[in-house]
Amino acid sequence: MTGATARPLPAIVPGLRPRPRWRELQLLVLAAIALFVGSVSLGATVRARAAVAADAPLPEGALAPHDLTALLVYLGALFAAHLIQVLAGRRTDQVLLPAVGLLGGLSLLLMQRLPQSLAGQLGGLAQTQLIWLVLALGVITVLAVGVRSDSWLRLYKYTWAAVGVGLLVLTFIFGRDVNGARLTLDLGPISGQPSELLKVILVVFLAGYLSEFRPLLVEQSTRLGPLRLPPLPYLAPMVAMWAIALGIVVIQRDLGAALLFFAVFLTLLYVATARASYVVIGLGLFIAGSAVMYRLFGHVAQRVDIWLDPFADPQGAGYQVVQALYAFGRGGILGTGLGNGLPVVGGRLPIPEIHTDFPLAALGEELGLIGVLAILGLYLVVIERGLRIAASAADDFRALLAAGLSLVVGVQAFIIAAGNLKLIPLTGITLPFISYGGSSLLANALVVGLLLALSDRGVEPPPPRPPRSRLARIVDRGAR
Amino acid sequence: MDFFVLALWLVRLAFLAVLYLFLYTVVRALLRDLRAAAREPGAELGRLVVVASTGDPPPGAVFALDAVTTIGRDVNNTVVVDDPFASGDHAALTFRGRAWYVEDLGSTNGTYVNGSPVEGVAPLGFGDEIQVGQARFRLDRARR
Repeated sequence: MTGATARPLPAIVPGLRPRPRWRELQLLVLAAIALFVGSVSLGATVRARAAVAADAPLPEGALAPHDLTALLVYLGALFAAHLIQVLAGRRTDQVLLPAVGLLGGLSLLLMQRLPQSLAGQLGGLAQTQLIWLVLALGVITVLAVGVRSDSWLRLYKYTWAAVGVGLLVLTFIFGRDVNGARLTLDLGPISGQPSELLKVILVVFLAGYLSEFRPLLVEQSTRLGPLRLPPLPYLAPMVAMWAIALGIVVIQRDLGAALLFFAVFLTLLYVATARASYVVIGLGLFIAGSAVMYRLFGHVAQRVDIWLDPFADPQGAGYQVVQALYAFGRGGILGTGLGNGLPVVGGRLPIPEIHTDFPLAALGEELGLIGVLAILGLYLVVIERGLRIAASAADDFRALLAAGLSLVVGVQAFIIAAGNLKLIPLTGITLPFISYGGSSLLANALVVGLLLALSDRGVEPPPPRPPRSRLARIVDRGAR
Repeated sequence: MDFFVLALWLVRLAFLAVLYLFLYTVVRALLRDLRAAAREPGAELGRLVVVASTGDPPPGAVFALDAVTTIGRDVNNTVVVDDPFASGDHAALTFRGRAWYVEDLGSTNGTYVNGSPVEGVAPLGFGDEIQVGQARFRLDRARR
């Protein structure tokens, strides 16, 4: 859909062939209008509330954006990303950037609306989030324009897997405990959550491994009674990688990431082999594992108990979940309007960690059911584009990579959205593109940037794999 | 103040409306894209791209593949390779249910996948390279 009809503009500089992206521009303009209107709504509400609280008359020009500078900086970065892609002239997807840009803009509005003292070293919550958002747009643009070949991902899959495991081990040894989970790694002034990066690395490894051994996984099987298991020698490294990731994640008490990794592992296995039996076996393993963890680990049992009955201890353990449900209830269908929600209960914020774990509850209160449905729709659009890129990919690696990358975003959004709505037990992962936090934004920007690069239809074919003939092996041995 | 409240209420609704206008535009674009993809003849199960060859077919040529494709020098093959090192009936590519397989049809010089010789029937992944005589082919996914 990207540009079969769009003719390239004449080359301005030799080697630089701009190609117009009208659909992206149209959608970006719509997104910009939406964000401007949202900012006006937020600004007017905040000013009116302040006037009522101070018992003063409404100031002149109250119907204006909340923070025009921040909004303009963000929109400027968005259109700059568009312009750079036009100049680069690649035939990449034109829907992903506007959809992600709108989600990021909603994030900015939300962070401007929350109390600024929640987090952020650089002048408050919104300021810090704005910096991360602009950096994330930069990452997307650089990857979309710069990645011309996927061989650096394809050829070094075991290296990537080793990097991922190394990151986890580093976090486990040197990490800092936050809220009972050891997730944060400090490297000098920079701190981050490596599990966000790990999900991208896991997808790259699984895509590389499955694309290489897909025919063997489909063709052969080990029979175990009525079950047809995959050939064990080919599945072992993958299961080992998964078990290492999962084991450390469970030890780190990061249940959300564990759930995400497992879901991505199963879906990619299914996408690669089209065998329902793998999914059935995996779900059986999941149920058995959950039951064991429920008995063994107190924090798992606590999460499940809160999910089953948050009103058992509404002021203590169930506080977050109960307040989130109240927030959705206050929002109703149309919402209270941006800036009008979040009454402070007894001198403290109703929902602790609202900026990272419960952004959907905050948006649900202020935009209502309609707004939440629109946000979920935006995630669906991102997933659809990713699966479409996968379907039209030229070879197995790209198809699996695109499918895995889009599913990792989709599954993560589903896990945390469903957790906020008390459909599944709450786990502390971020809502992609909306939650506050640099690691999450940059990792998801990595995903979108790679998807954009993969969607280019005019890229060079993948390099042929190195021969694995007997002769080559003998030559190898002689050379050593 | 009353006018202000009304205006604010309208702005709130306008925000939600523009959000949905965005979604509507995106979904319309996606549907148009899907319809365009459905209109294309999508019967092919894969594509065979000529990577290198000495004669016919030239490098860069693309063949849309049916479930059974035969490769060889004989003119009755689906893909006719004009190469002195290729046998009359050299190799066959078959799509069986979920995956592609390559079979050597008793050729003189053998069939190679990614440089290793095919013995009997071998599974084939998209992106793999097949060598018949001096000609090399790459199996790609069908374009949708």
